[in-house]
Amino acid sequence: MSSRLDFIRSLPYFAGLSDETAGRIEEQIRELSFAKGETLLLEGEPCRGLYVVKTGRVRIFKSSLEGREQVLLIAGPKSTFNDVPVFDGGPNPASGSALEPTTVYVIPREAMLSLVADCPAAMNIIRLFAARLRHLTMLVEDLSFRSVVSRLAKALLDLAVATESQAPVPRLTQDEMAAMIGTVRDVISRALKALEKEGAIKIEGRRILVVDPDKLRKMV
Amino acid sequence: MAGGTMIGVTIPEIDESKCTACGDCVELCPASAVDLVNGKAAIVRPEDCDYCTDCEVFCSAGAISCPFDIILVKDRPAEQR
Repeated sequence: MSSRLDFIRSLPYFAGLSDETAGRIEEQIRELSFAKGETLLLEGEPCRGLYVVKTGRVRIFKSSLEGREQVLLIAGPKSTFNDVPVFDGGPNPASGSALEPTTVYVIPREAMLSLVADCPAAMNIIRLFAARLRHLTMLVEDLSFRSVVSRLAKALLDLAVATESQAPVPRLTQDEMAAMIGTVRDVISRALKALEKEGAIKIEGRRILVVDPDKLRKMV
Repeated sequence: MAGGTMIGVTIPEIDESKCTACGDCVELCPASAVDLVNGKAAIVRPEDCDYCTDCEVFCSAGAISCPFDIILVKDRPAEQR
């Protein structure tokens, strides 16, 4: 048995696989090496597969337009990353760079999906979990990089329902809005006033009217 | 639950089961729209309530809530924005 196969079989993802299946996965692995500081993958780019750190350490992070960074994970030997797009089919949710000379195994998405191809229910569950994890990653990005006004603008855009729509109109107190976007009521009150002053919303009694969605989008 | 929308007037919702009749809402309502009726808070002058939501803030029992409907207005004329 090759040392690479031993390594693969020692990972939680591949525990209990038959020799044949583990061998099939091992055949499709690509081994890549990176110098310290080198970028392994970029947020928003198509997914190349699941990454497993063989040696070294990788910093997984989100970046803002202004260049600020939020580290999500430091992945050491035997850690995996980029799991989400492998299973939900979307782009890379975060970037990664080598903290030191690093070697990784890249397991193609198709190889990973083949492990659950015979079980549609498992695939459905995994896809759902991956989508939820992507949502949480975006929430971390919002909390890290966006102002309260920007987060509130985004939430109102997501929530607002046209009156002629069949969907139920969401009803939220200011405390509930605060809890949704990770702040406190007083700040929500000021943010609503700021959005109203900009002409993006209008508050009429118990109704928050999104009167200019384009203005809200520019604040997101 | 009392409150909501009364004949075009919007008022806070009061959960009488939670109301402790402490009177804070009565004392602190800037529009003097709240009073105690049969030992429970009530919006007695709904036409004076401007839905400032102060009563929700001051109610330590969590009996008063002021939810907002979040509505997308399509094609509203600029002068009405």
